[in-house]
Amino acid sequence: MIPACPLAALPPGEAHRLDVDPPIAVFHTEDGELYAVDDTCTHQDASLSDGWLEGCEIECPLHSSSFDLRTGRPNSPPAKLPLRTHRVVVEDDTVYVIPSCEPSNPPPGLRASTA
Amino acid sequence: MTARSLPPSVIATLPGGHYTDENIFALEQARVFETMWFCVAHASDLGKPGAFRTVQVGRESVLVTRARDGSIRAFLNVCRHRGARIRTEESGEVKRSFQCPYHAWTYDLDGRLIAAPNLTKMPDIDRVEYGLINVHVREWIGYVWVCLADEPPSFEADVIAEATHRLGDERSIENYDIAGLRVGRRIVYDVKANWKLIVENFMECYHCATIHPELTEVLPEFADGYAAQSFVGHGAEFGEEIRGFTVDGSEGVDRIPGIAEDQDRRYYAITIKPQVFVNLVPDHVILHRMFPLAADRTIVECDWLFVGDVVDAGRDLGPSVELFHRVNAQDFEACERCQPAMNSRAYAKGGVLVPSEHHIGAFHDWVLDRLGAGSGQGQVKRL
Repeated sequence: MIPACPLAALPPGEAHRLDVDPPIAVFHTEDGELYAVDDTCTHQDASLSDGWLEGCEIECPLHSSSFDLRTGRPNSPPAKLPLRTHRVVVEDDTVYVIPSCEPSNPPPGLRASTA
Repeated sequence: MTARSLPPSVIATLPGGHYTDENIFALEQARVFETMWFCVAHASDLGKPGAFRTVQVGRESVLVTRARDGSIRAFLNVCRHRGARIRTEESGEVKRSFQCPYHAWTYDLDGRLIAAPNLTKMPDIDRVEYGLINVHVREWIGYVWVCLADEPPSFEADVIAEATHRLGDERSIENYDIAGLRVGRRIVYDVKANWKLIVENFMECYHCATIHPELTEVLPEFADGYAAQSFVGHGAEFGEEIRGFTVDGSEGVDRIPGIAEDQDRRYYAITIKPQVFVNLVPDHVILHRMFPLAADRTIVECDWLFVGDVVDAGRDLGPSVELFHRVNAQDFEACERCQPAMNSRAYAKGGVLVPSEHHIGAFHDWVLDRLGAGSGQGQVKRL
């Protein structure tokens, strides 16, 4: 369980970026739900926490691919591969993220960059 | 170089080279248009957040937009990455950000850099410092004014005071409530003439009897040759048989409610240097914005503004618009007729101004003064 931020620091409509590797984005929707997905768009290396949050969808600021925060799946091109979703837990007014154990889908340029 | 010896009735104009030389034009762009308040657009051109216009201010392309909080912002239209022009169209709408089409550097409507490929790997790139370069913005009488100078001159002294000075008091222009009017018609003219020829034409009425038959029918005193700008607080009066400021003297449309009785049946003209003309009549306002593009080319955007209800009701604006449209066409044709001769040896030392045009000499002195402003890099002197 990784601490992300105090809940008070993440009002509805806002995002918080967890600087882990690969980074994770936590979103607080207008409806009051908390979601966490991989921060890096699966299409090109851009930060989704800098994108546009609308309802349960996050739109990448670079090419406007929109991802469903509940499933991680892209709703519109050019992204084709889904984001991993991570569990979010709130304890003592602090937001925690439990990272997924699945492999991530990094965009070209970040794949196999550990070589 | 000996000064010209002229008969006492006349004074000299600027020499012809000032209307053709590209170095002088570049100096004017740098020291006039890029340092003064410059009127770029009507607020309604930026109808909602994301609506934008691109305009030429001096040598720079400026991107003007409405931000998410409703305020108007203006930026140099240059990507901070490798200098691409962010938007090339004259106007348009973006959803929420300006994205450079070369490498997708993306800026929000406040100009802040919000995304770029691999940007998160470069946390040392400050998003504001590498955002779009802001230029100063003011709104007045429903129009958007920008200034490219780091420290702009006083808007009150340079812009608002012009109107006050010409009409004699502050109240007078407020009576027209120009900010509350609606653009009923816009005509854009591409004039093959130097911007100064257009200003000089607007400043005098010595030509009115010769080239403006419809205007002198409506405003008979213009046939005498003295422009409305010559006098403070003086509006040219409509002819006795004239019922409105229209091409045929017909009634026109609904009077602007706030104008004073002594403003009725009168035409007022204000020049706001360097590139705006404001014309006031009882039922509409005509506002010109000039965009000098080259020593021999100026774009003029002319707006006819009416009471909102008049426009909404679909009333016939034709006769009202047609009057000043003809005046514009007649004036610009005259300016274009002068431009080719600016290079002639016959005009190397310039021409002459008759007494009713002598106030144009003050405009020339003003231009020369501004060209000499800044670095002492060779003052441009009147021959």
